[in-house]
Amino acid sequence: MAEVIVFYSIASLLVFCSIMVVTRKNPIASAIYLVGALFLVAAVFAFLGADFVAAIQVLVYAGAIMVLFLFVIMLLNIDPELLKSPPMTAGEAAVLILTILSFIVISVTVFKGQLVAPVGELTTQEIAKNGGNTAVIGLALFMKYVWPFELASFLILLAIVASVVIAKKDKKKLTGDQADAERNMVGDLR
Amino acid sequence: MGLSLEQLTGWLAGVDEFWIQLAATIVKFIVVLLISLHVPPLMVWAERRIPALMQRRKGPNRVGIFRFRLFGLMQPLADTIKLIFKEEVVPDTAHKFFFHLAPVFVIFPALLVITAVPFGHPVTLGGYIFPMSVTRVDVGFLFVLAISSIAVYGISLAGWASNNKYSLLGGLRASAQMISYEIPLGMSLIPIVLIYGTLDLNEIVMQQQNVWGVFLAPISFVLFVVCMFAETNRAPFDMAEGESEIVAGYLTEYGTFKFSAFFLGEYVGMFTLSCLAATFFFGGWQIPFVSYETLVQISGSSLVASLIGMMVLLVKAAFFMWLYIWVRWTLPRFRYDQLMSLGWKFLLPLALANVVITAAVLVALQASRL
Repeated sequence: MAEVIVFYSIASLLVFCSIMVVTRKNPIASAIYLVGALFLVAAVFAFLGADFVAAIQVLVYAGAIMVLFLFVIMLLNIDPELLKSPPMTAGEAAVLILTILSFIVISVTVFKGQLVAPVGELTTQEIAKNGGNTAVIGLALFMKYVWPFELASFLILLAIVASVVIAKKDKKKLTGDQADAERNMVGDLR
Repeated sequence: MGLSLEQLTGWLAGVDEFWIQLAATIVKFIVVLLISLHVPPLMVWAERRIPALMQRRKGPNRVGIFRFRLFGLMQPLADTIKLIFKEEVVPDTAHKFFFHLAPVFVIFPALLVITAVPFGHPVTLGGYIFPMSVTRVDVGFLFVLAISSIAVYGISLAGWASNNKYSLLGGLRASAQMISYEIPLGMSLIPIVLIYGTLDLNEIVMQQQNVWGVFLAPISFVLFVVCMFAETNRAPFDMAEGESEIVAGYLTEYGTFKFSAFFLGEYVGMFTLSCLAATFFFGGWQIPFVSYETLVQISGSSLVASLIGMMVLLVKAAFFMWLYIWVRWTLPRFRYDQLMSLGWKFLLPLALANVVITAAVLVALQASRL
C-alpha cells in the first residue's frame, strides 16, 4: 500500500511538472519545471531500485545539461512580447483533441491490465546476485557492448570538436581593436 | 532518563522493523540538521576571530551574556537578529517568484548531501542494525556528486532574477566556475573508488582503518581540496562575489533573511564538503590503528562507540573548515581567466592522468599477485 501511495504521488507531481514545462510562457520557468520533472523521473528510477540510473539521471540531466539550457536562455534574454502565441488554428485544435482521446484510450488499456510490459532477464533478484546495479551496468557496457559504447563516445567527441570549429571565428579577418577584444575574450580557449 | 538501555532494546525488539527504521531516520535527520545548522554561526565567529589572531587584532570579543563575554561567541547571534529584523527590499524589476526561490536552491542541496555522509559504524540495538547516516544509498558516491551539482541553480537563478547587471555577471561567473570545477572534483574521486572498489561511502571509510586515502591517492587529495574551494565559491575562487569588481555579484540585491539564507547555504556547503573530504581521504569516523571492535570494548556499547566516531569525523571536518579560513586570509583572489585556465588546462588533464595512472598501477598490482 505504501508503495502505491509513494508511486502515485511521484507520478502525479511528475505529470504536473511536465504540463507546466509546456504551458509556461516564461522560458526560465519552463526550464525550472523541467529540472523538477527530471528529478522526479530519477525518483521513479530510485523507487524501482535502479539507484545507479537515478543518480546518473540527476548528475547528467539536472546537474549539467539543464544548467547549460538555463545559461543560454538567460543570455538570450528574450522579449516577453515575442513569446505570445497566436490563437489556435483548426488543425491545432484537431491535433489537441486527438491527443487527449488517444491518451484516454492508452490509460484505459493500461489500467485494465491489457498492456503489460515484458520482463527482461535482469530482475531485481538477478541484479542483487550479480553484485548490484553499478556492477551489472558496468559489465554490460564494458564487456558486452564495449564497441557500440566506444563508438558513441567517439561520435560525441567528434561533435564537440566540430562545434568548436564552427564557432571559431577566422583570425585573419579581424583587425586592430576588434582583434584585441577578440583575443581577450577567447584567449583562454585557444 | 528513567529508561535503561536494556529496557529500551527489549522494547524495540517487539515492534515492526519498518517503523523503527523510520523513527530512527527521523531522529538522525533532526540530529544532522541541528549539527549542520549550528556550524554556520560558529564559522562566522571563527572567521572573524582567526584572522584577528593572524593579524594581531582582537576581533569581536564584546558580545556575551550579561557579564560573561565568552570570547565574543554571542556575536553571530546578534548578527542574525540584526539580519532578520532589517527591512526586506525586493527590487521592482526583479522576477519575483525566482527571486524568492533562489535561496532555497542553495540550502537544499547542501543539506541533502550531508544525509549521505556516514557519521559512524552502523549501530546494533535490539537486533536491528541502524546505519549512522540519514540515508543509506548503495551508490552514495554518485548521490553526493549528483545532488551537489544542483547547487549551481541557486546562484545562477539569483543572479538572473535580481535583474541587475552585477548580479547577472556574478551569477554567470559562478555557474561557469562551478560547472568547470565539478568535472575535476568528480574525476579526483575516481581513484578512491578504484582503490576501494565500492561506491558505498561507509564501505570506503571501513577500508581506511589503518591507511588513510590521502596516502594512497595524494594527487586526488590535492585536486579535491582545490576544487572544494571553487565549488563553494570561497577565496581564492570567490569570483562570484568579487566585491572589487562587481559590487557583490549575485548577492547584490539580496538583504535580510534571504541574504542569511545564502550565507547559511554557503557555510553548510563548506561543512558538507569538509565532511566528504574527511570521509574520502582522512578515514572518516575511524581512529587510526584503533579498530571499531576495540572501541566497543572500551566504551561498552556500540552506540557510544559510534558517537565517538561521529566526534572524530567532526574534528576532522573542523580541520578542513579551518583550512578554508586559513586559505581565505592568506591567498588573494584569482583573476577570472586564470581561474578558467587553471581548471581546464591544468586540473582536468591532471585529474585524467591521475585516473589512468591509478588504474594502471592497480591492474599491475593485481597481475603481480596472481
